[in-house]
Amino acid sequence: MQLNKTDLKKALFAASCTLLAGNSVAQDWDFDTAIMYYGEADRVQALEGIFQAKKTLKDDKEFSAKLVVDSLTGASANGAVQQATAQTFTTPSGNGQYTANTSETPLDDTFLDTRVQISAQWSQPLAENYVVSTGANVSNEYDYQSIAFNGVLGRYFNNKNTTASLGLSYALDSVDPVGGRPVGLSTMVVDNGQFSDEAAYRSAFDATRQTGGEDGKNTVDVILGLTQVINRQWITQFNVSLSEVDGYLTDPYKVVSEVDASGMATQQRYENRPGSRSKQAFFAQSKYRFESSVWDISYRLTNDDWGINSHTIESRYRFLFDNNSYLEPHIRLYQQGEADFYTPFLREGDAVPEFASADYRIGKLNAYTFGIKYGKKLKSGREYGVRLEYYNQASQDVGVEAPGGLNSLDLYPSLDAVILQFDYKF
Amino acid sequence: MATLAQQHYELSGHDSYISARFQAMASPCEFLFDTLDKSLADSLAQKGVAQARRIEQKFSRYAKDNLCFAINNAEGASVKIDDECYRLLAFAQTCFELSDGMFDLTSGVLRRAWKFDCSSHIPQQRQIDALLPLVGWEKVTFDQHSIQMKPGMEIDFGGIGKEYAVSAIADIYRIHAPDMSVLINLGGDIQITKPRQHKLPWRVGIENHEHVISIVQGALATSGDAKRFILRDGKRYSHILNPKTGWPVANAPSSVTTHAPLCVQAGCLATLSLLNGKDAERFLQNQDVKYWCTRV
Repeated sequence: MQLNKTDLKKALFAASCTLLAGNSVAQDWDFDTAIMYYGEADRVQALEGIFQAKKTLKDDKEFSAKLVVDSLTGASANGAVQQATAQTFTTPSGNGQYTANTSETPLDDTFLDTRVQISAQWSQPLAENYVVSTGANVSNEYDYQSIAFNGVLGRYFNNKNTTASLGLSYALDSVDPVGGRPVGLSTMVVDNGQFSDEAAYRSAFDATRQTGGEDGKNTVDVILGLTQVINRQWITQFNVSLSEVDGYLTDPYKVVSEVDASGMATQQRYENRPGSRSKQAFFAQSKYRFESSVWDISYRLTNDDWGINSHTIESRYRFLFDNNSYLEPHIRLYQQGEADFYTPFLREGDAVPEFASADYRIGKLNAYTFGIKYGKKLKSGREYGVRLEYYNQASQDVGVEAPGGLNSLDLYPSLDAVILQFDYKF
Repeated sequence: MATLAQQHYELSGHDSYISARFQAMASPCEFLFDTLDKSLADSLAQKGVAQARRIEQKFSRYAKDNLCFAINNAEGASVKIDDECYRLLAFAQTCFELSDGMFDLTSGVLRRAWKFDCSSHIPQQRQIDALLPLVGWEKVTFDQHSIQMKPGMEIDFGGIGKEYAVSAIADIYRIHAPDMSVLINLGGDIQITKPRQHKLPWRVGIENHEHVISIVQGALATSGDAKRFILRDGKRYSHILNPKTGWPVANAPSSVTTHAPLCVQAGCLATLSLLNGKDAERFLQNQDVKYWCTRV
């Protein structure tokens, strides 16, 4: 017998790990549930339920499925400027009207939707040092359907301390807006009693609707990723991604106000955006484990051919306590430059541009989130958590001179929201 | 404060832990849970006892309707096996190679000639010679899906089955109670899932050892049996048989206990050391493992 070789112990230990490997990864289902409330002051309220199930099978194969249901109610800014007088708008369907009071951000309060999203993902080792993952995702809401597929190939190097991955995804979305798709930059028809009858109004409204053209969009994403374990405490990750979207990218419910020299809105035009968008993003993350805390910090840079660029810095610091609980403060700072065709309003007399949008989401803005999460792991392995966050978004002046009365009105309103989430893992 | 549940284990509360005692694999067994939550300990005990019984039923050579019986009674035919059985066979293969053919799951048939009942009966050489053709792991062919061996040959998973069960149960507890220390003890083969709270050691009594052993983490396994031997003409024959000669290994310790991270590792090291006979201690020293040897 090989008396002098401590290699024997090594070989034996390696063999015993193989013996048990088939058992140790065959786990029961893991369930992850969460319920989240998102509420903007006087605007959108959302309630979201998430149910996720994951099963790790033999040989490191893994299956997971996720169901997300959310329901949105409330009002959202329609893009029109505030006015010193009350304003009347036609609802997207054309069947009704809504108003904005003096010096009030015009809000479309017909906003109400329920979204159901189901996704499934399968991952497994492919050959030695390779892992492959594929998935599909279906999402449905009243005026929007989406189906997407993805595939990721990962390659381990350097004793699995380095992982390089290439991911591809393709999404096909179809949009069926309430009231149809408006003709880009056509003028909103508002019934102020000028029509002789209902049919005359209808025909004027219908003239602002598109009859043909693109009614969906498709998205291709490519992601290159690199994960590097630096040591037992420290892990870093880097991603570069490219995204190409083609199709109907306009928000059918948003308008841009056209104002005269006195700052008065003379008409509302439906916004219009380009039919394609190319986006690049870079992401870097570092996660460091101290004796009894974990620090996670990340940075994201994005840039697209609409002219929007953004910077996000996000950090979480988790304090781990002896009783298996933790407290995790969270901060996120976000800064975004506006799209080339973003404008808070159009000027009467100027040529109508090809593309224009006053949607604050593609405007210049700064946002921050402050939050805290408390979580506790129970002895049974179950885990619960509570998260409370405050979000503030401040739209920024893009340097367009405000004529007349617009000067004294808030062209770049801000938005506050709170997020409350409970989650439970079992 | 003892309850007898359906799975036939006895749950008892102690000052800082809860124990579940039961009988399996012809041995007294127990789980010690580092908790005072009785319902949690109960649900964990059920899972562990079920796993012990599952492995016992599947691999015991005493059962008549299990995989082990099918393999041992195939009369030369190929028998389909599952992944778990394949992993055990592959592990046995490694042990066979590492021990230069001394660790052999087919050597059990020699017990038809040797009865280690503390008597002085020694079999005739011709009896042993008749059995030797049925011994030899190299005569077994297996792959991930099937196993085949000569008619009359037998596999005895007893050499690794109990230690495997201990480690497999520990894996279950690592998943279901990742934050709790659990001690698994199947007839003296022991593994701890993680250290206890407040750095308390687990204290266990082991057969053949006078003292109670304190163990913080890792596993302990014992090979050999001080009560199973043949004494003849002043010479003591241990029950560890050399599969090449069919005779007991000379000058082996009566029992060896070793400490290793996993029970399957500790068990194998203990058995391999016994197979080294008079060099058992030297073997263990060379492997740099903590051990306790008993020589009677």
